[in-house]
Amino acid sequence: MKKLSIFLFLVIAFSTFAKDPIPASGLYSQPILVTSAGQSADVSLAGTLLRKLNLNFKVVNLAKESDLSGVKTLVIVPGFSSKGLGAAGISREQELDRVKSILKSAKDKGIKVLMLHLGGKARRGVQSDDLCQLAANASSLLIVVKQGDEDQFFTKLASQKKVQIKVIDKMAEALTPLKEAF
Amino acid sequence: MMIYSIRKKANMVFALLFFVQLFIVQPLYAQAEKNGMAATAHPLATKAAMDILAKGGNAVDAAVAAAFTIGVVEPDGSGLGGGGGMVISLVNEHKNVFINYYPRTSEDVDKLAFDFDKDKKTAKSILVPGTVAGLVSALEAYGTMPLSVVIQPAINYARDGFPIDETLGKIVLDNSNVLEKYPATAEVYLPGGFPIAQGDTLRQPKLAATLEQIALHGAKGFYEGQVAADLSAEIIANGGMVTVSDLKNYQPVISEPLQGTFRGYKIITSPPPQSGASVLEALNIFELGNLPAWGHFSTSDKSLHFLAETFKRVSSDRGSFIGDPKFNTVPVNGLISKSYAKERFADIDMGRVNPAENRMVRSGNPTKHNSSSSKQSQNSVIKEKSVSSESYIISDDQDDESMPTSNRWKNPRFDTWGKKKHISADAPVEKEEADTSDNINDVDKPEALFYKSTLAPQLAALAETSGEGGHTTHLCVADKNGNMVSLTQTIGNFFGSGLSACGVLMNNGLVNFSAISEKNRIQPGKQPRSSIAPTIVLDQNGKPYIALGSPGAGRIIPTVAQIILNLLDYKMTIKEANDAPRMFSQKFDEKLYIEGRIPQEVRTAMERRGHQIQVYDNFDLFFGGAQLVLYDAQSGLFYGSADKRRGGSAGTSTGRSED
Repeated sequence: MKKLSIFLFLVIAFSTFAKDPIPASGLYSQPILVTSAGQSADVSLAGTLLRKLNLNFKVVNLAKESDLSGVKTLVIVPGFSSKGLGAAGISREQELDRVKSILKSAKDKGIKVLMLHLGGKARRGVQSDDLCQLAANASSLLIVVKQGDEDQFFTKLASQKKVQIKVIDKMAEALTPLKEAF
Repeated sequence: MMIYSIRKKANMVFALLFFVQLFIVQPLYAQAEKNGMAATAHPLATKAAMDILAKGGNAVDAAVAAAFTIGVVEPDGSGLGGGGGMVISLVNEHKNVFINYYPRTSEDVDKLAFDFDKDKKTAKSILVPGTVAGLVSALEAYGTMPLSVVIQPAINYARDGFPIDETLGKIVLDNSNVLEKYPATAEVYLPGGFPIAQGDTLRQPKLAATLEQIALHGAKGFYEGQVAADLSAEIIANGGMVTVSDLKNYQPVISEPLQGTFRGYKIITSPPPQSGASVLEALNIFELGNLPAWGHFSTSDKSLHFLAETFKRVSSDRGSFIGDPKFNTVPVNGLISKSYAKERFADIDMGRVNPAENRMVRSGNPTKHNSSSSKQSQNSVIKEKSVSSESYIISDDQDDESMPTSNRWKNPRFDTWGKKKHISADAPVEKEEADTSDNINDVDKPEALFYKSTLAPQLAALAETSGEGGHTTHLCVADKNGNMVSLTQTIGNFFGSGLSACGVLMNNGLVNFSAISEKNRIQPGKQPRSSIAPTIVLDQNGKPYIALGSPGAGRIIPTVAQIILNLLDYKMTIKEANDAPRMFSQKFDEKLYIEGRIPQEVRTAMERRGHQIQVYDNFDLFFGGAQLVLYDAQSGLFYGSADKRRGGSAGTSTGRSED
C-alpha cells in the first residue's frame, strides 16, 4: 500500500511538472498594468482580483506605450465587447492595432505579460479569438476560466508556445494562480 | 471540505437534471395539435405559459404568466421595473387590441438635471414603470384566470431560485460594471465581488416578496402602499425622480393596434411612440420589389442591397416623425401608406449605395400622404374599465428636428429644457426656424455640420452601446381557440439603470429620449420613442395567423420585417424563418451588419455596391432574439419557434416537438 502511494505520488508529481514547462511561482513582479484586449467588462473584474490580493496595479482600458513606464508586468484581459468598444469610441480594427502595439512595446521593454481570460465562452468566437490569440502568444502564463477552453484553444496555444496554463473552474479561483505568480 | 464537496456535487446534479428536463420538453421549435403554443426567451417562462394553457387559460392568461415569469428568470431584459407593449387578437370577439404599458416620465421630471452621457445607467434614468399596470389590466380585461394563479410561477422562481443559463451568465458578465454600482443589486448578481455564472442558482427573495404583494393586492400592491413608498424613496435617494404620486397615477393605454397589409395579409402592430409603423413602412416598400424572384437576401446581393437601403430610409423617417402622439403630431397614416412607400421606393438606387454616406439619407415627407391611406384604426380608441386611453393627433405639421438639444441653451428660441419658446409668427427667428425644419442631414445647414462633426461619433458609439443587443424580451402565445398575444417588454438596456428597490430592477428608459429630436425630447408625463414592435399577422379571413416580435433595440424593426418576408415572401417554415441569416442597417451608422452565414461572394458583391460590411457570428444575439407562433387553420396545427440566438424555447404541454 505504501509503495503504491509513493508510486501514485510520483506519477502525479511527474504529470504536474510535465504540464508546467515554466514554473509560474514568483514569475511576475509589481507594479502591474492591467489592460483589455477587446474592451469587455472583464478588465474591471481582473482589477477586482488584483485588489483582493493587495497587489500594486492600475487598470487602463485603452493603455498605450506611455502607460508602460515603470511597469514590471502587463496583465492583458482578452474578450471582445461591442458595447465596450462603443463606449470607448473605437472600432475593432483600432483595438486590434492598439493591442498589437502595446504587446510589442512590452516585449521591447522586457515587460512580462500574463493573460487572464475570465469570460468563458462569452469571450470566445469570431470577434474574440484573434484578440485571445494575440494575448496568449505574448504571455508567459495563461489563466483561463474553463468554459473558455472547452475546445482546448488556449491549452493548444500554451503547448505550442511552451508556456504554462492554469485552467480554473470559476473566476474567483484565479486568485490562487495569481497569488502564486506574484 | 467533504460537506462542501457533497454540496457542490448535489448542485451540479440539480443543474444537470434541470437542464435535461428543460431540453426534453422545451426545444427551440415545437408543433402541437391542441391547447395552443407559447414561445418565449426562457424555457421557464414558456413552461409557465404552457401550464396555464394546459389548465384551460386563454392566450392572455398564459402571456401574462409568461411575462411575469420572464421578468424573474431573464432579469436583464424586462421585469416589474420596466414596461412594454402587447398586441392581442381575439377570434370570437373579432377584436384586436393594443396595450401600451411603456414607462413614462415623472410629472416632476423637469426638476431632474439629466445628462445623456453621464446618467444613462443611473437612478436618474428611471421612468415610472408600467409592467405591472399593463399586465394586470390585460388580465382583467381579456383574461379568464385570477392574478394570484398566473403570477405564482414568477413568485416560485424568485423565491426558490433557478439555474443560470449560458445567456444570462454572459449578460451578467458583460454588465458587471453596471451591477456593481448599487449594493442591493450587487449582492444579488455579484456575490463576493464576482459575477454569478452559468450553473449557479439565482434567488431573488425581495422580488418574491414584491410579487406576493401584487398577487394579494393587484396593481395597487405595486403602485400604492409600502412598495410604492420604498420604490420612490430609493429612486429619489439615488438622484432619480419617480414620486409616489407618479406611481399611483400610472395608467396603461388600451387602443386599437396600428394596421397595415402585406401581400394580402393584414398586419397589426404597435402604434407610436412604439415602432410598428416602421415595420409597416418597410414592408410596404418591400412589396414594391420582387424579392421572391431576386432570391433570399442571404444569398442574393440584389435583395440584400434592397433591404439595406430600405432600412436606412425607414430609420431616418422613424427618427424624424415618430414620438409620443400625446405630445406630437405624428403623420402615422402617411408613414404606413402605400403611396408614401412608392415615393421611398423610388428614392432607392438599386445599383449602389446612394447617398454614399448613410447619414446623408434624407427623410421623406409622409405628411402629404397622411390622408391618402385607408382610414387607420388608431383614431378609434377603446375605453374599457378604468384604464386610460388616448387618441392620436394626426397633422401635417412637422416639428423642428434639426437643432441639437445640447446646443439649445445657447439659442434664444429654446428654454433650458430645449423646449421652443413661444415667439410671434412674424419674428425673424421664425424664418430661421423654418429653415431648419427638415432633417439633421441637410449638409448645408449649420446643425447638420454640427451633427457631422460632433455628434456622429457619439451616435455611432450609442449604436454600438446597444450592440450586444438582446436587451428587452419578446414572447408570444396562441391558445386552443386561436387567440393570440404578441408581447414585447423591456427595462431599457441590460439590467436597466442597475438600481434595484424592493428587489425590482428599475428601467433606464429616460435614455430613449433624444437630445437632438424635438419630437422625442424629455417632457413631464411623456413616453419616449421605442423600437419595440410586437406584431400579429392576420390571415385572409382576419383571424390571427402569426404572432411575432423581437428584442434588440434598433435591430427590432429589421428583424421583425425580415421574418415576415421569410414567411410570406420566401414561404419558409417558422423555424426556417427564425433561423435564416439576418442583416441590419440604419441611417446613423455607416456599416451594413450581417451574420457570418451570408457567403463571401455576396459580401464581395455588396462591397462593390458601396456597402461597408461588418460580419458577426453565424447566429448572433446582436440581431435580436425573436419568438413566433403560427396557427395553421387548415391543418389545425400550432407551431412555435424561439430564437436560437437567445436560448429561448417554444412549447406546449401536449404537443410533439423537435429541434
